[in-house]
Amino acid sequence: MNIEKIRQDFPVLGDKIKGRPVIYFDSACMALKPRQVIEAMNDYYLHYPGCGERSEHAFGKKVTEMVEQSRKTMAKFIGAKNPGEIIFTRNATEGINIVANGFDFGKSKSNVALLSEKEHNSTLLPWQKRKMKGNARMEFAEFGREGFNLDDFSRKVKNAGIVSVVYTSNMDGSSVPAGEVVKIAHENKVPVLLDAAKAIPHKEIDVRKLDVDFLAFSGHKMLGPTGTGVLYGKKDMLEKLDGLSVGGGTVMDSNYDSAKWENAPERFEAGLQNYAGIIGMAKAAEYLKTIGMDEIEKHEIMLNKKASDAVSGIGAEILGPEKAGQRGGILSFNLPGMDPHAITIMLNESRNIMIRAGRHCVHSWFNHYKVDGSARASFYMYNTEEEVDAFIDEMKKISGMMR
Amino acid sequence: MICIIALVVFGILAIFSARHRPMAKEALDCVLRRISFRKCESRLDVRLKGELTGKIMRTHPGLAKFVFNYFEWLSWAFIILTVLSLVYTGIGGYNFYKYGNCNGKVNGEDFCIFDPAGKGKFSGLVSNYTGPVVLPSLGKNPTLGPADAKVEMIEFGCYMCPFTKKAEPTVKMVLQAYEGRILFTFRDFPITEKHEFAELHSLAARCSNDQDKYWEFRDFLFEKQGNMSHDADGMKSLALEFGLDMEQFNECMDSKKHIATIEEDVMAGIKAGVYGTPTFFINNRTLVGPQDFEKFEKIIEQELAK
Repeated sequence: MNIEKIRQDFPVLGDKIKGRPVIYFDSACMALKPRQVIEAMNDYYLHYPGCGERSEHAFGKKVTEMVEQSRKTMAKFIGAKNPGEIIFTRNATEGINIVANGFDFGKSKSNVALLSEKEHNSTLLPWQKRKMKGNARMEFAEFGREGFNLDDFSRKVKNAGIVSVVYTSNMDGSSVPAGEVVKIAHENKVPVLLDAAKAIPHKEIDVRKLDVDFLAFSGHKMLGPTGTGVLYGKKDMLEKLDGLSVGGGTVMDSNYDSAKWENAPERFEAGLQNYAGIIGMAKAAEYLKTIGMDEIEKHEIMLNKKASDAVSGIGAEILGPEKAGQRGGILSFNLPGMDPHAITIMLNESRNIMIRAGRHCVHSWFNHYKVDGSARASFYMYNTEEEVDAFIDEMKKISGMMR
Repeated sequence: MICIIALVVFGILAIFSARHRPMAKEALDCVLRRISFRKCESRLDVRLKGELTGKIMRTHPGLAKFVFNYFEWLSWAFIILTVLSLVYTGIGGYNFYKYGNCNGKVNGEDFCIFDPAGKGKFSGLVSNYTGPVVLPSLGKNPTLGPADAKVEMIEFGCYMCPFTKKAEPTVKMVLQAYEGRILFTFRDFPITEKHEFAELHSLAARCSNDQDKYWEFRDFLFEKQGNMSHDADGMKSLALEFGLDMEQFNECMDSKKHIATIEEDVMAGIKAGVYGTPTFFINNRTLVGPQDFEKFEKIIEQELAK
């Protein structure tokens, strides 16, 4: 993997702030965009800015063709058999909301949604909302500092109606053993929804090998544009799923008192779609495949190991597994006695090093384990060892500030 | 407690710029929370501390460490300084409005931020006079100009005060510009609280008048201000250097011949509300301090036009 060549694809990395280059370690929140993605989106706006699936003129035909091609690309990207199993959404959150709102537990089955303790609000809140309406209950499988407790999960899944868990936590980079989770759940005849927002940019995911029932992810974390995402669902599961939004594009025909619904995926894609975004996201998927997911993961772990060793050496407490290899590109940490927000601001001011601080939308975990928050550096394919060295230098200065 | 400073700074900026209003609002919220012993939820304090420390860290890691560790103390120090400076600014503003100098009735020679050019400065005294204000007359002093001039200009001045000296070139310009149309006299207002020998200078000037050398000797006194000994011997040396009849001068000085006239001048000044020098009365209008020619011109023209 030629990092320098890759970096040339990301125009923003050539920018300077206050005369210094930017060091971007916040890809877990938002990945940078390669030129190819930006150009693909611009191409839509510049050369065929029409409506898809509706208009039969040249622009309309071109955009329909590009969107369906993008659907195929995304299906291929995650190993889905049928492009019809790919629903375009605004983000992973919308995908999870579709399932949490429209999933039918069935009359005789349990209505327990089994989550992990480390769920992003995107998963926690849709199920919480359904619980408040009185037609779901919630259970949580242990996912503490030591990792995902498969035994606890195996016990609890017996009483579950659906499993809805995060694949890779955006908070600390730890992952659930997705293959085993799906296998155990299916042995108990329980379908599984995986929140893969933080896994998709870093791991090779094959939904058929995983045999997962639903998988949701966002485009913006995988080099794609903002406001894009995918909900994958097995064809038979999608057929039983109720849509979250209805409107233009979700029906074949309608009368004043009835409508004839489209099949999946159109039934879930209400209103005019984010065509440029969808096309850009597909381009991002192609870009990732070109680089190679294994290579990307290896590079991130190498950077993370270097950074993790250094911050451990200055007394930082790392959240999640001790081994960097089990945290992908995420280094979530606290320096005892120092507000994590202060760390991020100081890094930004002193050397344009951009990391994030807070509870990373996993408030529930922080509240439960009585942790105030953390500083989070997240590395990606375009980051270099030199950048990590700069981060380490600044972290040493910051830790040296404390009496 | 950096939020308090942020509130003052952003509060002032917010008056002129909408961009700073959210920050001012945030700072206000933060201050209200802190004074009610709650946590500042917006983390404004953490952000400001981080931004400041981070900026310093670029070039001075040691200083950044000091600022980081003593941030709360430094914040308090800045708050105290801010409050003190606001109080002093308020007092100065009041003084400037009331007396034309932000240092008040006394210490008028000190620097005044409202008046960096020093035009409003004067030397002053504090009197206990509480009677009615009485406009001054010409007194028993030598005058320049026709007795029936439409405009009378009376200057209360002190030969040892630098601002009376500073006003002299302008006074001369005025007298030249309005020659034949203005009657001028100089009344003694020695600020002895500030200048120990000021009264001696007034006496010397009066004594020179006995030899019909008043205006010339007066110029000489201003010219020599600060470059001579100002005590009684100094006055005598000055008179000798100037060329006065020394026997007559010494007798005049030793007997304090004109002390009563000088005291009359001072009293007339106090009754007229004079608190510092130079103070000019142009008919019944007042100018305090070494003002620009244009200010004299404006008043005189208006008086002449009446």
